Amino acid sequence: MRSRRFRDRAGRDRKAGRCSARRDGSDGDGGRVTDPRVTGAARYAIDSELPGMLHARIVRSPYPHARVVRVDASSIPPGTVALVPDDVRELGRYGVQIRDQTVLALDRALHVGDPVAAVAAPTARDAEEAAALVEVDYEELPAVADVLEAVAPGAPLVHDEHVLSSGGAAYFGLRPQPGTNVCHRFRIRHGDVDAGFAEADVVVQDVFRTAGAQHAHMEPHACLASWEGETLHVRTGTQTPFNLREELAQVFGLEQERVRVVAPPMGGSFGAKTFLRAEAIAAALARKAGRPVKLVIPRSEEWLTLNRHPAVIELAIGARADGVLLAKRVACYADTGAYADCGPGVAQKMGFAAPGPYRIPNVAVDAYCVYTNTPPNGAFRGYGQMQSTWASERAMDMLADRLGLDPLELRLRNLLRDGDRYCTGETMHDVHFAECLEAAAEAIGWRDGRRGKGLAVMLKGMQTPSRASVAIEAGTDGGYVLRCATTEMGQGARAALTRLAAELLEVEPARVRFPDPDTGLVPYDTRTTSSRSTYMMGRALAEAVRDLRANGGRRGYGEIANPGGLDPDTGQGVASTHWHQGAAAAEVRVDEETGKVEVVRLHAAIYAGRVVDRASAELQNEGSMIMGLGTALFEEVVLADGAVANANLSDYAVPSFADLPGRLTHELLERDGAEIHGLGETALPPVPPAIGNAAGSLGVRATELPLTPERVLAALEERP
Amino acid sequence: MTGPEWLAPESLEEALALKAGWGEDATVVAGGTFVGLLLNQRLLAPAALLSLRDVPGLGAIGVEGGQLRLGALVTHRAVERSAVVRDGWPALAGTFRLVASPRVRNQATVGGVLADADHASDPPSTFTALGASCVVRSVRGERVVPVSELITGFYATSLAPDELVVEVRVPGGPHRAVYRKFRSRSHEDRPCVGVAACRRDGELRVVVGAVAERPQWFPELCDPAAAPAEIARAYAAAIDPISDVSGSSAYRKRVIEVEVRRALEALS
Repeated sequence: MRSRRFRDRAGRDRKAGRCSARRDGSDGDGGRVTDPRVTGAARYAIDSELPGMLHARIVRSPYPHARVVRVDASSIPPGTVALVPDDVRELGRYGVQIRDQTVLALDRALHVGDPVAAVAAPTARDAEEAAALVEVDYEELPAVADVLEAVAPGAPLVHDEHVLSSGGAAYFGLRPQPGTNVCHRFRIRHGDVDAGFAEADVVVQDVFRTAGAQHAHMEPHACLASWEGETLHVRTGTQTPFNLREELAQVFGLEQERVRVVAPPMGGSFGAKTFLRAEAIAAALARKAGRPVKLVIPRSEEWLTLNRHPAVIELAIGARADGVLLAKRVACYADTGAYADCGPGVAQKMGFAAPGPYRIPNVAVDAYCVYTNTPPNGAFRGYGQMQSTWASERAMDMLADRLGLDPLELRLRNLLRDGDRYCTGETMHDVHFAECLEAAAEAIGWRDGRRGKGLAVMLKGMQTPSRASVAIEAGTDGGYVLRCATTEMGQGARAALTRLAAELLEVEPARVRFPDPDTGLVPYDTRTTSSRSTYMMGRALAEAVRDLRANGGRRGYGEIANPGGLDPDTGQGVASTHWHQGAAAAEVRVDEETGKVEVVRLHAAIYAGRVVDRASAELQNEGSMIMGLGTALFEEVVLADGAVANANLSDYAVPSFADLPGRLTHELLERDGAEIHGLGETALPPVPPAIGNAAGSLGVRATELPLTPERVLAALEERP
Repeated sequence: MTGPEWLAPESLEEALALKAGWGEDATVVAGGTFVGLLLNQRLLAPAALLSLRDVPGLGAIGVEGGQLRLGALVTHRAVERSAVVRDGWPALAGTFRLVASPRVRNQATVGGVLADADHASDPPSTFTALGASCVVRSVRGERVVPVSELITGFYATSLAPDELVVEVRVPGGPHRAVYRKFRSRSHEDRPCVGVAACRRDGELRVVVGAVAERPQWFPELCDPAAAPAEIARAYAAAIDPISDVSGSSAYRKRVIEVEVRRALEALS
């Protein structure tokens, strides 16, 4: 293995310096700024315009749960169009895994912010004022905001029934629990967990909690919908153009070919711009108005649109006195809010990642996706992984403490090695957990003394099963056009795939064009999520180039399908055809009088297999670590009576550059001949537990994120 | 459908005349960092916005008779970087440097941070500890109001509807002062607890900000001879802190005791 290390903002080396020079948007040799994101030439969904378009605004419920008794839009001014429940009653339901959403709340509004009506007007300001004129009468109903209360017997039911989706994103056996708020239950049954615990010399047991978070992408959700006859055109910031096309076709009762989704680059997403968000409202308004309608979600409403799943994780782990793990039992409760969205998938991933990258002979996992009367939660960088890694890796340190073992040694004794079977039954290949962990430990001088220091290691699955296809067309000018559904959200997919295509085609990258994905022009792709695109699309590109060469050099098509999936009742099968592997190490200081945690050193070591675009890969690591830092220390969606109490970027704190540790470093581990490994998210999940474990070494027995000074102070006071 | 009327006077006299005419219906805007937030969050819907941007003569930093004079339109960034302020009133420059981010500090003004009376701002505590006063003008004339009497509650001041803050005056001479900003979250966050303390001519002032509706100053607890821990305990006991996303009331009480003690230790 070659190990390459890149020093940070503090110890910037030659390469990092070169990378930042290019990232300022200059062309690298004359200082002329050419990057369209810097010059302003980039056109995002929020910049979309069509002649005669109207601007939309959503009217939202102020109650966590209420019957919608009357919606009266009769006082809106002329020239303004309103969409009310009766306009959409006949439209189809949507939801990528559970069909639990309607275009507007029809009879019951299920969370504060649930859309009950919408208006479209000549200007955004007109729309805002018209929205305020829509009168809605509500009758409040009992609500449930807490995930554990929602699974208790007798809890108010958020949905009366769970209708399964048959769409492309409903890729596993869903197990809704009728008559409860559980819309999916996933289990792993591996070995005999009771026998394992009976044999254990030490058992550690605790309950771990993580908070909801807002993606805080710079460009808000934005879309422009228009109709040409019976064909719907939508231009929107989305990571999932094909899933969105399928959902919109379902809502409007159209053949999928009658829906055309164009996905311009996004000004950030982090999982927020997945599946159907507000596009159906814009499309329904456009149909009613007979004009194009643009909908931009105001910043304050982003917290009502999609957040990260808060979770409660009950965990027990048992080991022999020598540290060999014997048994692990985990229950994950993922709070999906009022609509499932991809919550079943998040809960399942939380569940199958909860055992961690260890050999454990006896494992029982129960993961629940739970409805509450709170704004919907969905995909978020890390996708369930952060939540269970927090629990799993904090528990490993608690176990090491009880056993009197070095936390690094305890982990190394149990980490999965090449050829081991995971608790899902699948055999692990190209395994580098130990190298990642050792590299992280070394970076913070673990063996020189571990007071104030903490480690964490994790495995993260990639979307499985999954399918990617791409077409390459030769132009008349000797260049090529990529017809590819991979979307750009700042992660650098476009640059990486362009570079891969250019290498394969043996031309300069400038000769390869990669237009905005358009479902009318590009072949199918599962979606741009779960750090899969460079890996999956890279392989499809190689197929396409082979095809192009074999068929006259004008056009080539390549398709890659990764089969797999888990049995939802036993958790056996193939969780992931490709595992993301990473570790983090942190050094902290804790103010014992106030509980304030200061991270002085943070390092992540990520297995990359083979790096395609080094500058982008490094930025992915840095971005993931900084998001992990926010999650660790202060990011939290605060609810009060079911409403978000901090829905603005003043009351909701995201990390600033001043919050970065004095030393923030990372490395990408590579192996000659290895496959490309996705790395868009890998460095996020291990950061919070590395910081939590560092605080733990100072006596802070933290179980709940974020590690606010107040919680840390309380934990310090519980020290024996 | 229109927004608020935009009033852009080009002289102080014109501004005062407009304020006299519009009264509370006109919200004064200078840097816009606070008013902009309130407008965006729909917490404010004034009939008019009275912009001071084009009013000359309110942007100077100077010293007169040993007193520091800061025009109402002086930005946070200018205070932070001013050699005059850093030499004579280092704690004040340091306080402004701790506010939000450079982007905000380049816009936000000295007059604005006082007239907004936001309980979670840093500078009012330091101004109070330093014994600063505001020069307040209206068409009726001018008066001088101590900062400690300017802010009366959450976003509430003793300004009359026709009055504008035009200058802030800070006493000079030998003194030792310190401001400690305790943030529970991001570096760019507002304080969970802010403590300003100043010793001057045998007098001690301790002012705690961000914990209640206005800066908390208890002259009777500021015995210059008392031990830091003693004063800290007394302040923690005397204040009934608010609870919000930055910290609960009970937690703030704990931090007040710690940070007041640390501030006083830094002074001695």
